[in-house]
Order: sequence, then structure tokens, then C-alpha cells
Amino acid sequence: MMISRRIWQKRPPTSSWIFLRPYTSQISVPSPSPSRFPVQTPSLIGFLSSYAASSFRSVYKISSLEMPSMVSRCCYSNHALADLPASGIVDVPLAQTGEGIAECELLKWFVKEGDEIEEFQPLCAVQSDKATIEITSRYKGKVAQLLHAPGNIVKVGETLLKLVVGDSAVPTPSSDVLESVKPPGSENSPDSKLNKDTVGGVLATPTVRNLAKLYGINLYDVDATGKDGRVLKEDVLKYAVQKGAADGPSTASVSADCREQLLGEEETYPQTFAEVKWYPDDKTVPLRGFQRTMVKTMSMAAKIPHFHYVEEINCDALVKLKASFQNNNSDPNIKHTFLPSLIKSLSMAMSKYPFMNSCFNEESLEVILKGSHNIGIAMATQHGLAVPNIKNVQSLSILEITKELSRLQQLAKDNELNPADNSGGTITLSNIGAIGGKFGAPLLNLPEVAIIAMGRIEKVPRLSDDGNVYPSPIMTVNIGADHRVLDGATVAKFCNEWKQLIENPELLLLQMR
Amino acid sequence: MMIQQQGKKVGLPLMNLVRLNRTPILKQLHLEEKLLRKSSTNWCIINDGTDTPAIVMGISGKPSELLEIGSVLRDQVPVIKRFTGGGTVVVDKGTVFVTLICNKDDVPGVQPYPRSIMSWSGLLYNQVFKGIADFQLRENDYVFGNRKFGGNAQSITKNRWIHHTSFLWDYAEGNMAFLKQPARAPEYRM
Repeated sequence: MMISRRIWQKRPPTSSWIFLRPYTSQISVPSPSPSRFPVQTPSLIGFLSSYAASSFRSVYKISSLEMPSMVSRCCYSNHALADLPASGIVDVPLAQTGEGIAECELLKWFVKEGDEIEEFQPLCAVQSDKATIEITSRYKGKVAQLLHAPGNIVKVGETLLKLVVGDSAVPTPSSDVLESVKPPGSENSPDSKLNKDTVGGVLATPTVRNLAKLYGINLYDVDATGKDGRVLKEDVLKYAVQKGAADGPSTASVSADCREQLLGEEETYPQTFAEVKWYPDDKTVPLRGFQRTMVKTMSMAAKIPHFHYVEEINCDALVKLKASFQNNNSDPNIKHTFLPSLIKSLSMAMSKYPFMNSCFNEESLEVILKGSHNIGIAMATQHGLAVPNIKNVQSLSILEITKELSRLQQLAKDNELNPADNSGGTITLSNIGAIGGKFGAPLLNLPEVAIIAMGRIEKVPRLSDDGNVYPSPIMTVNIGADHRVLDGATVAKFCNEWKQLIENPELLLLQMR
Repeated sequence: MMIQQQGKKVGLPLMNLVRLNRTPILKQLHLEEKLLRKSSTNWCIINDGTDTPAIVMGISGKPSELLEIGSVLRDQVPVIKRFTGGGTVVVDKGTVFVTLICNKDDVPGVQPYPRSIMSWSGLLYNQVFKGIADFQLRENDYVFGNRKFGGNAQSITKNRWIHHTSFLWDYAEGNMAFLKQPARAPEYRM
């Protein structure tokens, strides 16, 4: 092992910038000149003129002005200490840690609620893409509340934790006081008599204070059951019930007015005081995995001009075919369903109408007729909508399709589909009928140009030629197509071909190799 | 000490260079983390290959998502979770590791956040790979054209940062089969 010391090489100034950052065109990267860049608290103006948006400001005493979601009293100047409130709760947001990065994963906390912290003390570690970053505190204070747990994804600008800063010199018996930071809405309270109830001194969150104000309740009168003597929502509601029962009709009329206000604001409050129930809070569900992907893909799909073509298919022959497969099935592991036959006949029809199995390149206005028939099957799993595809259906037998379908379904159920299974599809089948419904109007699975939603097979009455009514298993299908590439005639002819193959499966033999 | 003082007079910080050869990657990572957290000088560590193949994941890597666990267990490949973020890599004797550990104030023009660090490292490696096969830093990867040959990762602490890279000078194709395709791919590969 060789250790040597080298004088740092002076980097030659370069004028060219080889840097491909497709999503960050608005951010200017600093010039790499070797001149010393002042690092200790430069003036805000000077700093901003060099960096557009994304300096790591929670390390330095410079706050970012671009955080729209910072609601509470975070400072907006680099003189953080001078502008600080004498006492109060400060929301510490996740500062921008690098341009284009919208969120980070919280890895671990270095502090816990109640800890005293110094300025620049590390608070937590987060990970964004390739970097783990320690977030340090701008203020000296005490940790009031941690708002995220390790593993959470935190958006840039979202509050990480709340700090109590400065000397909270409020004369109350409890040592750590949460001074009320009034939410903007509460300033508009019409009843001035109620204002005295929100004077600081009682531990309660702004929501609870608001609730008490609306009910005309003095927080001092409420029995607090929360930690450190904090008044909780349940305490206020309980007191309100008791008060309502004691005060009788006069309270009921007050409550009626309050109810209108409440319903206007929150819509979760009870009809009368006597029936106060504890309504559950809203639950926020962050979208991950398949659901998250679906937001993106469906937003893009909605921009494409779709048209829909509906047809009914007689499934008599299909039903008989499936029964025959099942009766002659010697392998207990294989379960025969309608889908594989539908998939194979779809592929046969696409061979005649290759435009149905294509993708469209907007920039070059070219349609790529795909060689393989990779038929995607939409699957509803507990993790969301997955669309794995069966590759090269044109070369597979119905039995092979059955096995492959079963394999994909199992993987989807276990959330073990790999990206290769999910990508490369050329057309999608959505068997929504397995769950229910007559038919749907599906949205394209880009970059494909066609998608087929199949309703369930149901027995409906039909008239024969001689006027008799007979039952017929009918499946309604809805083909969604990209009208930039496909027209009604093409889709109609394709569908006729597919319908013919389903209704007369012996025709598949004609084309079998 | 004299050199350090003289260096400071010129206005440029010093960097310690450590050259290793086939040092096990786990040992290297231990060394790096210690230097990042405990040392107060700048370091450049170069390790020419690791002794046996290993899989190295980022700090929040989940084996079930990233690895073909069956193959990994069958072949008893060591799996290491490092202290920096980023993705997964299979390393072996054909991997060249380069690590830079610096005080946040010591590198002119570099601020302690990922993009700034990578701008600077991109320039540094531009000099190294000058004229070779269209070398670039694309998004977060070191590439020739659009072929990634080196990933990198950072960890940024209060006063220092580390940026380390595994360059695949050579690799065994079979070893790549231990890794699953990651769910996210950079835009340049879409």
C-alpha cells in the first residue's frame, strides 16, 4: 500500500460542458473556474446570482425561496437568527439537494423527539438517487415532532420535523410548551368572544384549538389526556358532549351554527352534540410501484386521440373448445381457460392486419410494424394493475400460451414480475369481464396502438332464423385504437377476422404450421 | 506537515493518494467510511480490483428487488450493503475502484451536494478519458456513448463528502446474471 501526498492539481479552466441532463435545463451549473468560491454565509443576493435554485441550503444559513409548501414561519433571509421569532415552532423542510430531484428516502434519524439540538447538528440522513446526505439543523432548539419514519419517501419542500426554537418563555406549569401557531383560517373567526380561548398556555395543536373555538369551549376547562398535558381532539369532543348534555337547548342552537361552519370546513363532524362520534381521520396513501407508474402512463395515454369499436362475439365454439381441452387434459397442473384461445386467435388475426401490432413514432411520423406478437394481459393484483406480456405468441401453441400465462399470473400475484415481463408488449388484452362488466372503454398502453377490453361471457337470448329464441353465450369486446395510426375500417376488418376465428376455431387449423 | 503548510500558502488543499491492489472491497469500504467520518484531510483511494467477486448494493438496496437470490445463494456470492446511496454492482478483479473523500470547503467551486460533486468529478474523468470513445457523465453514470461502464455514489455529511466509483475495466458476463434489471432506468437508456 502506497500513501503519498500530492499537491492538488490546478484544473485547467474548461469552457465546454459535456453534460446531458434532459430534465434540468432551467438550472445553470456553476462555472468551474479555480477561483475560490466564498463558502461562509455569502450575501443572499450574491449566492442566488450564482446558483439558480438548487443549493443545499439546509446546511448553510441560507433558506431557499423556492419552497412553495413551506407554510409556517421558516425564515426567508440568510440572517436566520436575526429574523427568528423569539419563540415558536419551526417547520424544517427537506431542502433541495440537487436539481431535478423531487424526493428522497429518509434513511435514519440522528435525533428523537425532545432532544436539544445545536445549530448545524446533523438531524437525519436521506438518500436521493445516488447520494446519502446528512441534513443539519439551521437552528438551535428542541425537537418537537418527527414527521416521518425511516423508509418514508419525503418530497422536497415537505416538512421533515418540527423544532421549537429560541426561549419559549410562556408561564405554564409544563416545561415544553407548544406555542400556538395559528393557521391562517382561524384569523377569520367571527366571534371575538371565543378568541380569548386560544391564548397560549395550553398544549394543543392548531386543529384542536380551532375545534374548541368553533364549539365555544375554553381549553382550560377541558380535561387533557395527551402527553405532557396536551389537549387532544377527543378531549374536546368529549367535553363538548358533556357540555351539550348539561347546557341543553341553548348549546344545541350554537352547535347548529357551528355545524354549518364545520361542515363547510371539514365535513366530518356529527349531526348533533348528543350523537358525537369519533370520525376517523383522512388517510393519505402514497402511490408506489404499479400505482405510481399508472399515474404516469395513463396521463400520457389520455393525450392520444382514441376511438373505440365495439363488437359482440358468439362464444359457443369457444366454450366447447375449452371444455374439450379440459376434458382431455392429463396434466393436473394446467388449468384451461378462455384466454389462451383468444390470445392465439388474436395473433392470427394480427398477422393479416399488422398495423394492429405496431407502435407509432411521433417525432418521425413513422409506424413500426412489430415482428413479434407480444400480447400483454392486464392483471389486477393487490399491488395494482400489472400488464405483463407473453412474448412471440405467433410462435407459441395454445398449450404453451396457457403455461406462460399461468407463470405470469403467479409472478404478478407475488409481485415478482421482472421488467422484461412488463416491457416490450405490442398489444394489450384486458379481460375485465373476469371481474365483471359488459365492456369497457380502455385506454391505450403506450406505445401500443390498440387495446382490447373483453366483457364477460353472458348468456343472452337470440333469435334464430326461424324466429325461435335460443340462448347464446355472448362476449362484448371494445377495441380502443390510436386514431393517428388506425382507422375505423382497419379495426373493423381486423375485428371481423378475429371474431371469425373465435366463432369458428377450426379455421385456426387452416393457418397452422 | 511542511508540505501541508506550503500547500496552504499556495491556496490549494492537499489530497492523500492511497493505491491498493486487489484489496477486498469490504475492507476498502470500511476504510472509506472511517476516513469520511473520522479524518479531516482529503483522500483519493484507487484499488485495482477486488480479490473475489462480490455484489455491492446501495444503502437502501433490497436484495429481493435487486438480486436473483437463488443464483446468489447457490454460488455463495458475498453481498455487501455500502454506506452510500446508488445502485447495485457486481465487482471482481476486473473492477477499478476510485474514491474521492474531500472536505466540503477544499475543492474550489464544488458545493456539498450531488450534482455539484458530479459536475466536478465528470470534469476530472474527462481529463482521464480524453479522446476515448465518447466518454461522458450522463445523468448519474459514466458512459462511453450510451454504454455505462461506471456507476457512482455519494455520501454527504456535515463537513465532508465522498464520491466513489466502480469502473468496469472488465467483467465476467456470467456474474451479471446475479443482478435483476433495476426498476428505474436513466432517461438516456429509455
